[in-house]
Amino acid sequence: MKTTKKQFVVVHPLDDVIETKVDTEALGPMAMTRSVRFSLLSLRAYLILMVLLVVYHVVILAR
Amino acid sequence: MTNKTLIMPTAVSTAGGAGLETETAPVRGRVVKSKIARDLLTFLMVFGPGLIVMVADNDAGAVSTYSQAGAQYGTHLLWIVLLLLPVCYFIQEMVVRLGIATGKGHAAMIYQRFGKWWGLFSLVDLELVNFLTLVTEFAAVDLALNRLGVDPRYGVPLAAAGLALLVLTGSYRRWERIVVFLCMLDFAWFAIAFRLGPPVRQIVKHALLPSIPAGGITPELMFLVIAIVGTTIAPWQLFFQQSCIADKRLRFADVKWARLDTFLGACVTITAAVCMMIAGAASQAHGFRFTDPAQMAADIGTFAGPAMRDLILLMMINAAVLGTTAISLSSAWAYGEVRGWPHSLQLPWREARGFYALYLISVAAAAGIVLIPRAPLQLIILGVQVLAGVILPSAIIFLQLLLNDKELLGEYANKPWNNWVNWTIIAVLFILSLILAAQVTAPNLFPS
Repeated sequence: MKTTKKQFVVVHPLDDVIETKVDTEALGPMAMTRSVRFSLLSLRAYLILMVLLVVYHVVILAR
Repeated sequence: MTNKTLIMPTAVSTAGGAGLETETAPVRGRVVKSKIARDLLTFLMVFGPGLIVMVADNDAGAVSTYSQAGAQYGTHLLWIVLLLLPVCYFIQEMVVRLGIATGKGHAAMIYQRFGKWWGLFSLVDLELVNFLTLVTEFAAVDLALNRLGVDPRYGVPLAAAGLALLVLTGSYRRWERIVVFLCMLDFAWFAIAFRLGPPVRQIVKHALLPSIPAGGITPELMFLVIAIVGTTIAPWQLFFQQSCIADKRLRFADVKWARLDTFLGACVTITAAVCMMIAGAASQAHGFRFTDPAQMAADIGTFAGPAMRDLILLMMINAAVLGTTAISLSSAWAYGEVRGWPHSLQLPWREARGFYALYLISVAAAAGIVLIPRAPLQLIILGVQVLAGVILPSAIIFLQLLLNDKELLGEYANKPWNNWVNWTIIAVLFILSLILAAQVTAPNLFPS
């Protein structure tokens, strides 16, 4: 958005100059401590277990 | 405000992450003469992703869940819906910051910051639940068309074709305007509730004062509460809004307007949810038993007239159409981001074939499954609700970790109070998903 003294020019985001954002590719993967890594693995195991439970339940219901 | 348009040639130096080429493009702007007009126009230009993600969340499954809650428990559960207003705003507000700061979608962020392994798991979870949810959207279209006397063998493919045309225009703005118009149709729920509604005093009382319905805490009540939470906050919303913001190329200066857009969207969606519950409560008050929302519409038609019945059925179709376009796009954007394909609604078909093909295949396959005779639709709907509830806490944890990534977000990273709020939400969601797991594995654990 650009302003002048007496008037304002409002620009739609798609018509505006493309903004420079954080270069996420240059950052690379996030540094994770062991505890964070372990928590994420536990979360993944929990999720797989829960999905299997749901599948089991649905199969039982389908019979 | 004037309608004058200025065109200022400006060199574009950086390409976006959606496959758009670096180019020298003129900057088109509108001239206004007051700060109020400037703010209003800026908001209107930024407005869209927040409203769409919230209103599309009131999809066919949501219509079914909220109206069932009303039909079984009257207006007693209104306070839970109201409690979900800040929850859905806080979660989506994080997505707004992440999307504006990075200019990339959620799937791309998980891939880049957590690596391929975690990225793949998140993507598979998303694509699976999204596809199953799409099947439920078309199942609702099928049900509503049947009640309207339209043969679903023609109506469902017609709806799928309309959804395909909606995105194939090669213009983000055109897609957004049409979808915002469809979102505005949701205001018809207010008229429905006004026509059917119980006394305002009762609505206000049950919305503001938490109460347990007569009969106490039963497994059915618990299941419905979990379904209400699961339908109000869904994993696809995180992916959809971030990709939408990236595709619209929202700027850092737009953060406050995007927040307002999200907040207004949350208010509209929660108010519409309350109205759906009131419609269910009205059918209960007339002695009808809930089976599905199309049947509920027919029941309401017996005492409120056929016009009211048809309006509710049309709103069901509208909810399913909104849900389908948003969910299919979240799948296509996420897959396109991860594969590195061009993935923008601004691109014509020939320049983003993979992105559009994925959208079209999702829509066509979901519509096709619904048309299979004797497909176990009710079972698919149940499975989808449960799967979405299970996956949600995990999706929010990745979001929370990304929002605490100061290297990535700098000043847009979470503040300590944000973290307190979000970890509380995550804890509640985990408890609910554990209750769900307990109900699945040991159905007799909760006494009736």
